[in-house]
Amino acid sequence: MSDNESSDAESIDSDTELQRAFASGHLKPGLNVEVAPKLYINNVAAMKHKLEEFKQHLEWIERLDLTNDPTQTPGGNQATEEQGDSVADDDFKREMKFYRQAQDTALEGIAKLHKLNIKTRRPEDYFAEMAKSDDHMKKVREKLLERQLAMERSEKAKKLRDLRKYGRKVQQDVLQKRQKEKKEMLDAVKKFRKGQKDKLEFLNSLKSNGMKQKPRQKKGDRKHVPNKRRDFKNKKFGFGGQKKRGKYNSSGSSADMRKTFSIAVNQKQQGKKKGKNYKHKPSRPGKAKRQKMKNRKR
Amino acid sequence: MGKRKRARESDKNNEKENVSKEIETLPATVYSDEPPKKQTKWTNKERVLIFSSRGISFRARHLMIDLRTLMPHSKSESKMDRKDKLFVINEMCEMKNCNKCLFFEGKKKQDLYLWASNCPRGPSVKFLVENVHTMSELKMTGNCLKASRPLLSFDPTFDKEMHWSLLKELFIQTFSTPNHHPKSQPFFDHVFTFSILDNRIWFRNYQILEEDGSLVEIGPRFVLNPIRMFEGSFGGTTLYVNPHYISPNEHRRVLKAKVAQKYINRVHVKKSLETRNTGQSYILDPTDDVFVTIRPEEATGAAKNTFYRKAD
Repeated sequence: MSDNESSDAESIDSDTELQRAFASGHLKPGLNVEVAPKLYINNVAAMKHKLEEFKQHLEWIERLDLTNDPTQTPGGNQATEEQGDSVADDDFKREMKFYRQAQDTALEGIAKLHKLNIKTRRPEDYFAEMAKSDDHMKKVREKLLERQLAMERSEKAKKLRDLRKYGRKVQQDVLQKRQKEKKEMLDAVKKFRKGQKDKLEFLNSLKSNGMKQKPRQKKGDRKHVPNKRRDFKNKKFGFGGQKKRGKYNSSGSSADMRKTFSIAVNQKQQGKKKGKNYKHKPSRPGKAKRQKMKNRKR
Repeated sequence: MGKRKRARESDKNNEKENVSKEIETLPATVYSDEPPKKQTKWTNKERVLIFSSRGISFRARHLMIDLRTLMPHSKSESKMDRKDKLFVINEMCEMKNCNKCLFFEGKKKQDLYLWASNCPRGPSVKFLVENVHTMSELKMTGNCLKASRPLLSFDPTFDKEMHWSLLKELFIQTFSTPNHHPKSQPFFDHVFTFSILDNRIWFRNYQILEEDGSLVEIGPRFVLNPIRMFEGSFGGTTLYVNPHYISPNEHRRVLKAKVAQKYINRVHVKKSLETRNTGQSYILDPTDDVFVTIRPEEATGAAKNTFYRKAD
């Protein structure tokens, strides 16, 4: 109810507003007050004046500025490219544009400097403080290497997966072939019984192949392997070492560039399968449900 | 007398050498046993004061420090209190002998604004800084000398409109290290790139790996969204207002409104359901169906539990 009242009040307000607007003659046939478009200042003349005022008339070597069109390829051809928001949103295209602009500038700038008889490169044995420290650059290199290794690893895994897929197919073929052979053999036996055939050829071939079967392992012989969950618990709770403060960050763990924390990996329960397809053990139904079931049985 | 003659001869020799130098190409590398030139020709005494207000984020602080390391002609100053008026900065610059200023202003502990100003006389510009990546990020693999002079690269759009050209001049004066600056190195190994895209200025810093034009990014990178330009330094009449600018508060409000719309819809649905379900539509005698028995086979729902047929 309170909402309704408030909305009534609002409508009354808007009514009075409208009346006022009508009285002052703002109301147009569409019954709406015209909102004046917001004015954005763009004082070109004043800007021109200011630019002239504070511009420095220095030689190029003091300023080192260059204007380069990234859409123009170094050969002078217009590169085909769409403009506007699509480039701004596409990371790769945008960075490529900036890169090309910088590249043009670098080429042109260095040529210009050489023309002014200014050498640009430093000698090989010239050491000076760099913008990034050696420590930092080492980290960068490690990161690069890490990424490369990860790529290789994933490639390898991909190859292995493909191989496994192929292997599965081969196995299926073998099984089918075996089934076919068996069927043929049974057919042959049938025919032999009925007296349509004189001889069973496959008996000879079996003898020559020498059917061998591995003797089955006895149950006691198998070595006991604890399951994964037990394994982890042994590692966690078994024998010696400090158990406290095990989850704290240490200088080593925080400086470690390779591993990033992931809940899926670091906080999953050991030995449990993950993923959506894993079905949970059917849980005990609630009390009401159980009683209902009990009643029905009686 | 003899000395003078010799000097003249050497002059002649020099001239000859100059002629021959013009013909042969210049080796690009400076030899290590060449004595360093004394830098006495430092005429462009441009100095930039780079500092910030209190309450900027760590990322903004790192960006500021990166700019300081890349600009040998910069000076630092301690953080300014938020309550101080901006025109105090003009006096600070005067005290520090600076004629340009880059002032980072943090708002709400998340938004970063940058003032770029030509100090005593203006103009000054206020930007919103977006998409900040600092030099310490490991993705940027380049490196350059700490104090070498950058080449400045500009988009041709900077010459098309007046406000952009004003900005270009301001950037050139601010970011280019003066020639023969005592702290600078006489080599050229990086490019500052300013390009305009989407009505914003995108800043990138590339290392020149080889002089055939292969580059690697050094960082930092950031995007400047111009808000307003003033005639004076940190004040004065407005020269330009960016019509495309949306304040971060407004942006956040829109995002929130979008989420809130979901809740509002749900409440409306509930309300309309209430109005449609008016409760009892017809008065029934509740004792009417006392003697109606349902056979257990026909029972549905809760009635199933009321009766069951005895097994014989």
